[in-house]
Amino acid sequence: MSDDHETTESTESDGNSDDPLAERWRQARRITDGGQPAERGRERDQDAPHAFLLEDEDDAELDRGPFQQWVATSISNPKRAYRAMFYTATIFFLLTTLFPFYWLLMVALTPEGQQQDIILTPNGFNPGAFIEVFQTLPFHWYMFNSFVIATASTVVVLVVASLAGYAFGRLEFPGKTPLMLLVLIISFFPPAAFFIPLNDLFNTQFFALEPITGDGTLYNTPGAMVLPLSAIFMPLAIFILTTFYAQIPDGLEDAARVEGTTRLGALFRVIIPLSAPGVATAGVLTFIAVYNEFFFSFLMTDGQPENWAPILEGILGYQGQYEVMYHLMAASSIIGVIPVAILVIVAQEKIVSGLTAGALKE
Amino acid sequence: MARVRLEHITKRYEDVTAVDDVSLEVADGEFVTFVGPSGCGKSTTMETVAGLTRPSEGNVYIGDDEVTNLAPKDRGVAMVFQNIALFPHMDVFENISFGLRLRTYDDEEIRRRVEQAADVVQLEGMLDRMPDELSGGQRQRVAIARAIVRNPDVFLMDEPLANLDAKLRVHMRTELQRLHRELGTTIIYVTHDQAEAMTMSDRIAVLNEGRLQQIAPPLTCYNEPANRFVAGFIGSPSMNFADGELVADGLETDNFRVDLDPGEVPGVTVGDAVTLGVRPEDVHIASAAGDLPAVTAPIEARTDVLEPMGDEVFVYLLLAEEAGRSMAEDPATASDQLLMSVTPDTEVHEEQDLEVVLDRSKLHLFDSASGEALRHGLVERSEPESGETSKAG
Repeated sequence: MSDDHETTESTESDGNSDDPLAERWRQARRITDGGQPAERGRERDQDAPHAFLLEDEDDAELDRGPFQQWVATSISNPKRAYRAMFYTATIFFLLTTLFPFYWLLMVALTPEGQQQDIILTPNGFNPGAFIEVFQTLPFHWYMFNSFVIATASTVVVLVVASLAGYAFGRLEFPGKTPLMLLVLIISFFPPAAFFIPLNDLFNTQFFALEPITGDGTLYNTPGAMVLPLSAIFMPLAIFILTTFYAQIPDGLEDAARVEGTTRLGALFRVIIPLSAPGVATAGVLTFIAVYNEFFFSFLMTDGQPENWAPILEGILGYQGQYEVMYHLMAASSIIGVIPVAILVIVAQEKIVSGLTAGALKE
Repeated sequence: MARVRLEHITKRYEDVTAVDDVSLEVADGEFVTFVGPSGCGKSTTMETVAGLTRPSEGNVYIGDDEVTNLAPKDRGVAMVFQNIALFPHMDVFENISFGLRLRTYDDEEIRRRVEQAADVVQLEGMLDRMPDELSGGQRQRVAIARAIVRNPDVFLMDEPLANLDAKLRVHMRTELQRLHRELGTTIIYVTHDQAEAMTMSDRIAVLNEGRLQQIAPPLTCYNEPANRFVAGFIGSPSMNFADGELVADGLETDNFRVDLDPGEVPGVTVGDAVTLGVRPEDVHIASAAGDLPAVTAPIEARTDVLEPMGDEVFVYLLLAEEAGRSMAEDPATASDQLLMSVTPDTEVHEEQDLEVVLDRSKLHLFDSASGEALRHGLVERSEPESGETSKAG
């Protein structure tokens, strides 16, 4: 009984015109309604003082257009607005990233000599370009070269950056911060600045290299790309792995060491498996960066597939002295993208699964 | 199985000394607990035994070998960690067998030993679960199984029960004792919980500020604490302390005096500052203390707050007139307060004036300056009236 009484009382006080807040809501409502009398609203506002303000189904049609209606519902239900913003942004980014691919496909499918005014559809249909690519040049060979170079660089980067990340993330030693800053500074250097000394170095003959490279230089070998590219993309991997390794609880490493591993063993058996998402991220980023790299890839070989020229040289190879086979360049670009696209899709799943597994719960 | 010996272990970090010249020996098969407040260096001391920390000075011996500079894996120790530290990416079997798989055992031997260890800690049928599918107690058992499966010489346990809830903690305490009895391995156990230390250990090593305060069986630490720190740390609620001065025929504190012959107390002379310590259960209501052989002169007090615990009642007594503030503070530090423990059937209520006496045989005297214990238990005195008169005068 007493409960009932209380409820009535509170309802009364809500509807009470003495309440300044309620009075202001009513005023606001009168303005948005265009001064229409609001008998029904007044009744309703007794149980929900401001829900009625913009959600007035009954008389909304009288004075609001669809846009105003949409605005009104968005204000009362902001999630709708956020969702709309999300879709707008998504569509925008999808369009800007996917349209070039679409257009590349259109160019590839258009037969040679008809590429003048491709806008949204190809001028003709010539899927044979994707075969022709391999007939004109040994494009698969270029792809293989790129794959080897990217994989080798990724392995080098992951191994070295893991050791560096362990040291930076889990050890205390004098000079840690200056060293970390040095790595950071090096990552800011323009890679082109290293080119001339490196090119000179890689064209120098070293006796020790003769059994491996034949003429004793690194020019025209994967080493000429793996070495500088690993170094250039190393700082990013070090930063990623440092943050991940630093988060592994000390107890786990101590446990592994007491159980019988060395520090290095603990790194490979416990810390790296638990940092799988970080390692995957660093690995994928490095792989893609090396695979896509232009500068060193273009200049560290003579462009022949048997001399480890990467994919880039293959694509540019369709550009002859007298003609440029745009449709083949487009087709080879699409083929070149496919392995990276697959890698990203696969790795993305790995990264997401690694993050959601809550692997670090102690 | 092996004994463990620490010789003058000191561990300094850049600005602090975590462990300061600790020497002790743990006998073969003994269960020794390092106990002390947070930051007292107990974990660091244990880490020097495990090899996870290298001492700045001093040597560690396990068995007859010096192991000070050996890697943890070569010391024959196993450790259970406070945060349990199971490898989250391995199932229970892989966790337990981790150490074995690093050594050259064949698969059958590994399986046999893992099953045996799982059996000891009652984990049968859970070997294929992942750590995050286990409850806190089960995880702790996996951690213990991982430690026992290698038959280590020494078991190190760093607050293994700290992250468990209170009920499970008591249960695991008895299980650990049973385990120690079954395996007979040397165990070094670190805790800040003096109840764990008292109930499980053969001996307790009390540490404070990196220094070893006392190493002795639990009851010795309780009844004959080596210094004021041990006296205050061991026992719950902790001992009452009253700072006083030694006079010609007794000890005079701010609010009461205890008759004694200064010659009874070695190491100090009349005029020196001496602290009296008495445990709550050795404070008695004067009228009910008839059967005690020797008590001090009655002390006037007023009850402040009662804390009924079920099996006993803690009574907070105010000794001085103006007292009554700051009751929340540790009673051990406030010399005008006294904590008394009585049986639940005692008739006592709040804000009651009464007289209490202290059991003379259970009094502890400490040097106020150094904190060192001077004497435990005073001899009987036949003239209890004298205290009353001199207090009046």
